Amino acid sequence: MGKLKHIIRHEFRLTTANKAFVILTIIGPFLIFAITVLPTLLAQSSSPVASDKPLALFGAPPRVEQAISAAFSGMKLQVEHVEDIEAAKASVIDGSRVALLELEAGWPDTGKAIWYSKSSAEIGLYSTASAVLEAVAREERIRESGIDPALAAKLLSKPTFEVIKLEKGGEEKAQGQGDQAFLETLMTVLVFIMLLYMTILLYGQMIGRSVVTEKTSKTVEIMLSSVTSRDLMIGKILGLGLAGMLQYAVWISMAFVLNHFLGPLFGLALPVAVSMQNMMWLFVFFILGFFLYSSAYAALGAASEDEQHLGQIAWPLLMFLIIPMVMLNTLVTSPDSTAVVIMSFFPLTSPIVMLSRILVASPPVWHLVLCIGILVASIVGMMVFAGKVFRVGILMTGKRPKLKEVLRWVKVK
Amino acid sequence: MEGLSFEAVPGEIFGLIGPNGAGKTTTIRMIMNIIVPDSGIIRFNGAPLSEADKDHIGYLPEERGLYRKAKLGEVLEYLAAIKGAKANEYRLSINAWLERFGLSEWKNRKISDLSKGMAQKAQFIATVAHNPSVVLFDEPFSGLDPMAQDDLLSVMVELKHKGAIVLFSTHIMEHAEKICEKILLMNKGKAIVYGSMADIKAQYGRNAVQLEFDGDASFVQSLDFVDSVVSYPRWIEVELKEGTDSDLLFKALAGRLKVRRFETVAPSLHKIFIHLVGGEEIENG
Repeated sequence: MGKLKHIIRHEFRLTTANKAFVILTIIGPFLIFAITVLPTLLAQSSSPVASDKPLALFGAPPRVEQAISAAFSGMKLQVEHVEDIEAAKASVIDGSRVALLELEAGWPDTGKAIWYSKSSAEIGLYSTASAVLEAVAREERIRESGIDPALAAKLLSKPTFEVIKLEKGGEEKAQGQGDQAFLETLMTVLVFIMLLYMTILLYGQMIGRSVVTEKTSKTVEIMLSSVTSRDLMIGKILGLGLAGMLQYAVWISMAFVLNHFLGPLFGLALPVAVSMQNMMWLFVFFILGFFLYSSAYAALGAASEDEQHLGQIAWPLLMFLIIPMVMLNTLVTSPDSTAVVIMSFFPLTSPIVMLSRILVASPPVWHLVLCIGILVASIVGMMVFAGKVFRVGILMTGKRPKLKEVLRWVKVK
Repeated sequence: MEGLSFEAVPGEIFGLIGPNGAGKTTTIRMIMNIIVPDSGIIRFNGAPLSEADKDHIGYLPEERGLYRKAKLGEVLEYLAAIKGAKANEYRLSINAWLERFGLSEWKNRKISDLSKGMAQKAQFIATVAHNPSVVLFDEPFSGLDPMAQDDLLSVMVELKHKGAIVLFSTHIMEHAEKICEKILLMNKGKAIVYGSMADIKAQYGRNAVQLEFDGDASFVQSLDFVDSVVSYPRWIEVELKEGTDSDLLFKALAGRLKVRRFETVAPSLHKIFIHLVGGEEIENG
């Protein structure tokens, strides 16, 4: 046990000293924050339009002018009444006014509203103007038709629409409103399974490379003169696994800090799906996926001649990681379809697929139990298999073994 | 490998000798339990060798290297630690060895920065840093320059005086001849001769002559009292048939070669090997 501890510590130190590890650890949470908060930021960014230059208004009746001025003053944009349309156009071109809004005679029924500007980039500005004009026009028409404005307001008010995700145990969770809720969920699922995919792949490959390095650097015999091949393999897996857990611990605590301190400070909330509970699921499936893939990669590393060869023989394993990523759309839109459910039980795809099911739907408890049970059993089986391949393969140098040979190693007593 | 049996005792330099493919590395790997023998037993201090006993053995494999991206000091400490050595002991020992080989300034440098010669020294340190009572060197001299060979030799002698068992393998018979007290000569997985160097030399008589000369000595082979010859362009070792006086050879040479040195010697290990294997092709290092 004492020796295993040394191997774990050595591998842990080698991994955490790696630049890629440090960068990913630091960037990870910002990635989550950036991508999940992005939709919220985008939604907010359309309202505040500020310009130190005034907006020219031509041909608007006083009441309309008043309404437009009021709407834009909330955005710190000054509205100027102009009499000479040509001069106003010239002032827009020379940049002293931000734009010109012309209301033709007879607006809103027979005339048009025309927006003149140097570029068509101020989408915030003219969409606001258009919304204001629409509201003003509606009020004008209501007034002209003699309907009581209070009644009209009641008739036209937008009904509230809320999205609530039902949890087990009757818990209800507000998911925000409408489209944004879906977008947030999609983004969260995307980020979570990307992280899971990246970390499982990264750590799996690190194990594979670490094993191949023993062969290529010719240290393996020195190692085996001191420790058993079993201890060497388990030490590598646990050493890197600890590094991975450290990374996740950093991410989860950073997410916690962002959510509880920085978020409120900047008036931004993380999407509801980025909850501590879901972070824990991410962690659980990382551990399970990590052990399964890393033991598979340990066997591949022992069976390969060098890093290049490892890359070549690892692709069938990689396929199983990539399939769920390709089916992302299905995972999010039909989390309870037969294909997705089956994939959430198959051990090589289940960590990613089950995590996405948990994020978008509420899979039955027995699905979770079965999924984790199959994963744990597969990990045990894979470890035994990898241990046997590792024991023989690690000493084979200078030739590329065939699959048949590798399978024969497994039978070696 | 078949029917191999030998024993090395503390304070002894033991040579495992034979041509390439004789089974030397396999034998050593079996001692280290890296390869498990089909049958037979390896004993350590009288009891079957256990995993824990390996902590008392230092092993320098033929295929050797160190983690290139790690620092020299860290790697040496790691390798000593997994031998179960105590941190305060192996740190002292590593520093002493680094000092001795002039590598102290390299302790915090990466292995990949070391020259080939330095890396070889680092590997010796890795083998002995945990103060083993048995050291196994597999082809330790291959790839070493003469200076490094001398360094290694002095380390081996020092370990022997400290009471360690020093077991090494080589295919260069001349090395073994100068160093070993006891040898096991092997070929194709089988033992050919086993015993102390002195006994073996005595057993195979003193009926050989070493010659240094100018001229063509190819006729020596065909002399009727000559048993066999190991020949180089300017040097030959002649094994005479039993009962032949070396004078006979001396007379036969007169006038045909310019003899620079004529010495009756115990047959070299090389010669004994050829004699025993029956003149089969062997590599000459």
